[in-house]
Amino acid sequence: MASKTIDTRGELINEFNQSMKPVSLWADAWKRLRKNRMALFGLWIVAIYAFLAIAAPVLPLYDYTSQDLFQANLAPSFRPSGEVAITKAEARLTEIQALISEGRDDLAPELDKAKVEYDLLKADIATNPNHKKVYILGTDYLGRDMLSRTIYGGRISMLVGLVGTITAVLLGIIIGAISGYAGGRLDNFLMRFVDIMYGLPYMLIVIIMMSVFRTEGSSSIFILFIAIALVSWLTIARVVRGQIISLKNSEFVEAARSMGASSGRIIFRHLLPNTLGVIIVFSSLSLPGFIMSESFLSFLGLGVSAPDASWGTLVSEGVQGMELFPWRLLVPAAIMTLFLFAMNFLGDGLRDALDPQSKNRT
Amino acid sequence: MTKFIIRRFLSLIPTMFVIITLSFFLIRFAPGGPFSSEKKLPEAVLQNILKKYHMDESMPMQYLRYFNDVLHGDFGPSYKYKESTVNELIAQSFPNSIVLGSVALALAVFAGIGVGITSALRQNRWQDYLAMSLAVIGISVPLFVIGPVLQLAFSMQLKWLPVSGWYGRKWPLTLILPALTLSFPYFAYIARLSRASILEVLRSDYVRTARAKGLKESAVVLKHVLKGALLPVVSYLGPAFSGIITGSIVVESVFVVPGVGRIFVQSALNRDYTLIMGEVIVYSLILVVMNFAVDIVYGFLDPRISYK
Repeated sequence: MASKTIDTRGELINEFNQSMKPVSLWADAWKRLRKNRMALFGLWIVAIYAFLAIAAPVLPLYDYTSQDLFQANLAPSFRPSGEVAITKAEARLTEIQALISEGRDDLAPELDKAKVEYDLLKADIATNPNHKKVYILGTDYLGRDMLSRTIYGGRISMLVGLVGTITAVLLGIIIGAISGYAGGRLDNFLMRFVDIMYGLPYMLIVIIMMSVFRTEGSSSIFILFIAIALVSWLTIARVVRGQIISLKNSEFVEAARSMGASSGRIIFRHLLPNTLGVIIVFSSLSLPGFIMSESFLSFLGLGVSAPDASWGTLVSEGVQGMELFPWRLLVPAAIMTLFLFAMNFLGDGLRDALDPQSKNRT
Repeated sequence: MTKFIIRRFLSLIPTMFVIITLSFFLIRFAPGGPFSSEKKLPEAVLQNILKKYHMDESMPMQYLRYFNDVLHGDFGPSYKYKESTVNELIAQSFPNSIVLGSVALALAVFAGIGVGITSALRQNRWQDYLAMSLAVIGISVPLFVIGPVLQLAFSMQLKWLPVSGWYGRKWPLTLILPALTLSFPYFAYIARLSRASILEVLRSDYVRTARAKGLKESAVVLKHVLKGALLPVVSYLGPAFSGIITGSIVVESVFVVPGVGRIFVQSALNRDYTLIMGEVIVYSLILVVMNFAVDIVYGFLDPRISYK
């Protein structure tokens, strides 16, 4: 769109004697994105998550590995954890007493045990400063803070998503660009290879790789990165190849070539910048996919291994006791879902903004 | 058309070949075999075990042997479940997965198209907004979150449905939650897809013609709109099917369904390599054949496509 304001310096004048301010693709896209409320909401949420993930070590969070069995399975609350634990212990005492008065005499040893635990807890509260901590999202089965565990879990999940996306994009760009620019036999060979890889059951291959190369105890994040990245560059390679083929015979490439530009320069300076929009859209839509894959594997016990935890690990731990302690499932599940929502909204918004005539909208 | 079918069918062979070869070598070059994790065996015993499973032979020999066995439909013995073969284990669990998967797929397709039609015809009204919000949830929320949350709500709080399990007195009821969970993301995607394509077709000339000649609205939608609008849904069936296969791995684990997916996870955790191989081959075969079938169906449905 040409703006109608008259430029006193008169740099660009159209046929109606109006000065024109050139609008770049990016400014235009940003304008469209700003109008999309859902995408903007997504952008904000993603920004907040990114901030929390980056700043986690300097934020006033409790240590996500410190355990205190006196504080296991506490419900979310703004009160100091000592009070919450005492209320919980008292509730248990009255519950057992009520059952005994109903005639369940067999519970007498349970009552004694609960009383001993109650006294121990009281004594511990008097001396242990741990009980002054406030767990706004509750604690898990080892008394670890759910808030900091979810934030640190998010760090791992987002890292996997980010590294997976970057690797997939880099590999995809290189192979797609070479294939599209070279054409001929090399192109044919590479694309047959991509076709065959497309036929492979992606998740199954990743599961095999995780099962085969994962070693107990040591961190398996690195293998996870490789496994996810190796099988995920296919789509971007196809897209980049298509774009390059459609552009490589255009005049500006011809011009560059006639001025003696090398193939590498033509690819990286002239062709790839034109595919940047598609690549950004693809990345933002595939990032949640990688996070889902990673959590999927971690949920099954094939992803990151302890002491690391990702959102998938947290959800799978939460499932264990969800009937009695639902927050252990719901907290990580909700936080993860919100992020995936936001990413999807942002990705859709970016697609609409960068590629307004997109054919594959749903 | 016949030529296309034959060529497309022949292209399945290299894919299957790559899958078998890739998984075979991935597994054989793994650090630590299936017997190395157990307590130290006497050398002679280990040799005998290796001999029994033909693992003392050279790698190419093992590969040829395995390939030959697979071509004869024999996946060998399971390393972990010593008394059963891989074929038996798969044969036991396979029907359960088929039941779960096909119910989920049917649910996703019919409910998805139904919701898609409704929200396209009621565009920008509350039905549309409700359906599309549901669809966004379905696409964003992972299966392993939906499953446990449904268990929490419908089994533990409301006590309407069994938490997990498969066989037994409650049999058809145990199918409901896993099938719902498994179908949800694909239901959501199909709903969005069919809504978008119906909206596009509704604006087309031939629909205007159909209306202009005085057809009833129901006839226009059912006879003319749907036929054109369902093509994207058909082409999505291939990816949906492969998604349901991988999804069933997690859903079967959450709901303790004795299917192939559950065994797959266990075999991956146990490093029961022959079992993993067998399952991957079976899964891939189904997938590849399904994609083939979708391509053929697509060709019949869309008269604009001509195969050379």
